[in-house]
Amino acid sequence: MSRSSILGRIKGALDQARVEDLPRTLPEFPEYNQRVDKFREELEKAGGIFLDGRQPDQCAGLLTRVMEEANATEMYWETEDMLDKHGIPFVLGKTKDASQASFLCSYHFRQTVKMPINVRAKQYQRSQLGRISISASSARFGVAETGTTVHVVRSGVGRLLSVLPASHLVLLSEKDILMNGKELFDRLRLGEEGSALTLVTGPSRTADIEKTLVVGAHGPKKLFVMLTC
Amino acid sequence: MIKISNHTHTALSDQQLQKNLLHVLEKTVTDRNEAVSDVPNWEELREYARQVKSHTLSRLDYYLEELESKVQGKGAKVIWAETPQQAIEFILDLAHHKQMNRVIKSKSMLTEEIHLNQSLERFGINPIETDLGEYIVQLAGETPSHLIAPALHKSRGEIANLFVEKVGMSATDDVVEITATARRILRDHFLTAQIGITGANFAVSETGTIVVVENEGNIRLTASVPEIHVAMMGIEKVIPRQSDLSVFLKLLTRSATGQKITSYINCLTGACRDGEMDGPREFYLVLIDNGRTRILRDAYLRQTLACIRCGACQNVCPVYQRLGGHAYGSTYQGPIGAILTPQLESVEKAPEHSFASSLCGACYEVCPVKIEIPHILLKLRNKTQTKKNNKAAHLPMERWAVQLWSWIMQSSYRYERLAACCRVMFKVLSKREKLKSFIPLLKPWIEYRELPSFPEQSFRDLYQSGEQEK
Repeated sequence: MSRSSILGRIKGALDQARVEDLPRTLPEFPEYNQRVDKFREELEKAGGIFLDGRQPDQCAGLLTRVMEEANATEMYWETEDMLDKHGIPFVLGKTKDASQASFLCSYHFRQTVKMPINVRAKQYQRSQLGRISISASSARFGVAETGTTVHVVRSGVGRLLSVLPASHLVLLSEKDILMNGKELFDRLRLGEEGSALTLVTGPSRTADIEKTLVVGAHGPKKLFVMLTC
Repeated sequence: MIKISNHTHTALSDQQLQKNLLHVLEKTVTDRNEAVSDVPNWEELREYARQVKSHTLSRLDYYLEELESKVQGKGAKVIWAETPQQAIEFILDLAHHKQMNRVIKSKSMLTEEIHLNQSLERFGINPIETDLGEYIVQLAGETPSHLIAPALHKSRGEIANLFVEKVGMSATDDVVEITATARRILRDHFLTAQIGITGANFAVSETGTIVVVENEGNIRLTASVPEIHVAMMGIEKVIPRQSDLSVFLKLLTRSATGQKITSYINCLTGACRDGEMDGPREFYLVLIDNGRTRILRDAYLRQTLACIRCGACQNVCPVYQRLGGHAYGSTYQGPIGAILTPQLESVEKAPEHSFASSLCGACYEVCPVKIEIPHILLKLRNKTQTKKNNKAAHLPMERWAVQLWSWIMQSSYRYERLAACCRVMFKVLSKREKLKSFIPLLKPWIEYRELPSFPEQSFRDLYQSGEQEK
């Protein structure tokens, strides 16, 4: 068995008498009074687009801008809960087989978003995901230090809807913005809620050719983060 | 035996390579320095990370068992492999058993180390590399020449030609167009892949989570689309607590690319669960030894295993800056390769690696986990020479030269005389170019360098004349 022989060799190699202690306290992390400002600054540095949707009456205009920039007429929303959470008014249309439905889709004539949004449930088909122009998901947390949003895959949420489309919109509540990475790992436990947790900072990028930055390697080319209250 | 000296002339006379290296490394170093100067307690973070690694490595059995039980607790399987063969056999068995042969891969140095692709290809499985740099290297039939930027040795023109030739891209050297071509081609591979293989930057033992860091999004896809996700890691990658991640991630991304954070950091705990919309149905974690338990035996050299593969030591190394990665002839290159290769293989198999350094110490200065690379190099040199001496292959000339040097250095008078001789000799040499090639040992040294001129006056003379003026 390779397991026992590897572990055996490790035990044999280690001098148990001399073990350096694990450090008990983390080094200090920067703290910010103006979390939203810092978050915005870092997100924009990373190439993301920040939208301030804290005034509910501005959301429609901001979402219209998102649809225009993504050049899309259909928006795919991860869950119904996210619209509730971020206070986006919506009307749920009737679907033939609601039990199979898994995410919501809204159509916006001439890329113009009007409130309340008319959404209808759609069935999850992997083959379709590749053709979606823009999707929206809700962030569990934001991290001001780096302009990062934190996404937790859990029941009702998948891994692919946020990575396959050319553009991605993240909704983030102002109260969920944390100061730094230390605070983040204090607030959640890896693997507890779901199988995957992804930290997202700006659009997909590469610099593998002559260290020249190119946006949109495999993931979204445009990343919007809309702050809600 | 891997001999760096066989490749130095090729590397040094390759004008294109020299241009690429100069261009890319300078920018990387500047970016890194800028990102680090932004963190006032950088030294504290380094020391924290060093302590965590030192502790974990000296209790490695405990943390690996903890990791194993947590990963198993999430319904995933853990595979232990002592040798590359065992790891490869596992993948082959899995592919055979599931009748799957469409494999995609994200970047992983460990899979390079065990030559995973070449081995799988022999059995009719052709894994597709999805990281842009790795894809370029794979198309060219080469190996990576840098930990972070595998295709660093290639210019955009060379890459464009490669794409025109291999995947039928229409002629352009626009980097955006090349990237778009790769995105289009690889998208199809992603959507039809059955097995996705990734590496792991860290594995958190308390939660059973593997952490994979990237910018492109190819790891997100590799670990999400296929039905099976296999993560392969060296046994040294484990860290005890999730809170440690905040420090390691900060150190890693700033050291590697000068970014405060990368676009995506994937924290994956097992396969997809009931109710989740997608994700792999099965998750396997392969723990690979391949010589690492041997390195653990030496309490000092053990720190070699603390490496988080950021590549910062390569970027600042005057030897790597000149030679690039391929000249090292090994998977790991630059300073970390110089200490890792002789230990993973043996000093007999890589006798020149520990000597491919000027011991300037720049690698230690930038190392985010404070690996004492220069000291380790000296220890390995010592090991190499001792092994050689045992075989009575030591040059008596070398011993005499060192004895002579030691005798001269013990007296200021003798040192002064020697310096005076050198001053005269260098003066003559600078006037008569031809003479240079007649001096033994000098020729290889000046082949790619200018012979420096000796100052007219020694420091001692200058100091004394200054004293008199007072």
